[in-house]
Amino acid sequence: MLELRIHGRGGQGVVTLAELLAQAVLKTGQEVQTLPFFGVERRGAAVKAALRLDSQPILVRSLSYRPNMIVLLNENLLSLALSEGAAEDVFFAANARSPLPVNAAQWLVDATGVAVQNQLIFAGEPFINVPMLGALCRILDVPEPAMESAIREQWEEKTARPNLAAAGQAYHSVIKIQGGAA
Amino acid sequence: MSKILNTGNGACAMAVKAAKVDIIAAYPITPQTSIAEKLAAYVAQGEMDAKYLPVESEHSVMSASAAASAAGARTFTATSSQGLLYMHEVLHYTAGGRLPLVIANVNRAICAPWCLYVDHQDAVSQRDTGWIQFFVSTIQEIYDTILLAYKVTEQIEIPVMVNYDGFLLSHSMMPFEPADQALVDAFLPAYEPNWRLHPQWGGTFGNVAPADEYTAHRRRLAEDLEKAKELIESEARNFQDLIGRWHGGLLDWQGPGDAEVLLVSMGSMASEVQLAVQLLERHGIRAAGLRIRVFRPFPREALARIIPAGAKVLVFDRNHAYGTGGGALLSEIKAALYDRRDNIQITGRVMGVGGEDLPASLLASQALEMWEELNR
Repeated sequence: MLELRIHGRGGQGVVTLAELLAQAVLKTGQEVQTLPFFGVERRGAAVKAALRLDSQPILVRSLSYRPNMIVLLNENLLSLALSEGAAEDVFFAANARSPLPVNAAQWLVDATGVAVQNQLIFAGEPFINVPMLGALCRILDVPEPAMESAIREQWEEKTARPNLAAAGQAYHSVIKIQGGAA
Repeated sequence: MSKILNTGNGACAMAVKAAKVDIIAAYPITPQTSIAEKLAAYVAQGEMDAKYLPVESEHSVMSASAAASAAGARTFTATSSQGLLYMHEVLHYTAGGRLPLVIANVNRAICAPWCLYVDHQDAVSQRDTGWIQFFVSTIQEIYDTILLAYKVTEQIEIPVMVNYDGFLLSHSMMPFEPADQALVDAFLPAYEPNWRLHPQWGGTFGNVAPADEYTAHRRRLAEDLEKAKELIESEARNFQDLIGRWHGGLLDWQGPGDAEVLLVSMGSMASEVQLAVQLLERHGIRAAGLRIRVFRPFPREALARIIPAGAKVLVFDRNHAYGTGGGALLSEIKAALYDRRDNIQITGRVMGVGGEDLPASLLASQALEMWEELNR
């Protein structure tokens, strides 16, 4: 089983990201589970969701303590995420333009930049969850058509279009590096 | 049909739609609310030919549901926690009134203190209302059990509560397979009540009853609840024959058939218990999960039949039976097995109350402690 724990802030669409990613993963024939953790439901509060992938039905019904992968919608959630536990060989995916200060494999994508370039902006805030979806699909080897149909099932054509563009851009611009010093 | 992905609440709403329910009365409460929202959307968008009543409280929800059922409508509602407690008076009334009803109760802790997360205190507090109570552990089982519940309630005329864990199932997404509508219609034909409140019906309903009539009426309810066990098992088999899925009848043995250590639980915890059983195997303990799927009527006979002599029974309760020193399930299991008078050992723990997280490692370590206590 592969376990992801996604960290973001209220209003960034963490739960929607987990659900879209799960929809895309399901199309690859894997078993999948989302388990959002609802704490204080306010804009700006730290929120998280677990996503589990496996070849067999998932029996876990508890929160994520040792994820194989930590996903950060904000770089500044790194220390909080680490304080909540991780597998020894954990790797990272982050909305960041420069490497995270951890000695671990990490995938970086400028999700904020991609959102702005595709005019995915609502109430002055860039919508970063869809670019993150694109990056995560690439990282998890989910083929682009599966990702695209998950987006098309979520939104009608007019809304889907910029989201498809942003997800595709992030899919192809996410980079993998071996992290710097912890 | 191929598998789709949805939350537990989404699957519940889909099953209610597939059951072609006539009347939905609802009042929002976390973590149930998204069921009511989805059903309101189905009705508003014309995807469901039902009447949706947004009433002002849960007491009114259950009162409206009782009236709708008495008028012969297939009726649904959903609630959680304080909402279920607020319905309590009318829960007794609907069972006594022998009104077919299905309610989804998304289990949540009760006040005080205020808490949004899962435990079973809300449902366990309703155990003597005369309702049938299911506890399910997967999203597939939510969908399937809503359909089964209608089939059962309309035959035995006892209301059914389908319980599932708040957030862990209600807001978690997992793949499940909806049933083909033609198969649902074959399993659950349109509701034809034996009587209904109607100007042309000359009877009375809910009238004052003298002791002899009252006693007989209430005794019939108690007896019919016993009969419900056989009905639930046979309809679960019919469901399997037609739709191809089986989640156990009244209970579900999960693990090696020759296990002599049994971890008994209800709800989503029972899935995680299967992982705990694998951890115990590493300690050389041959264990199995025993999931109680129907809590009311309590499957006394099935338990007495299935538990081997000499077994060690470890009970995990997500509720307190205050003043008994443990949880409700522990008391029920002890009572059910007392008559056997063979060497069965039973102990239990109250765990997971107020959303306390229950990973397999914790369940296994607690099981190990209990096992050691019994071996002393």
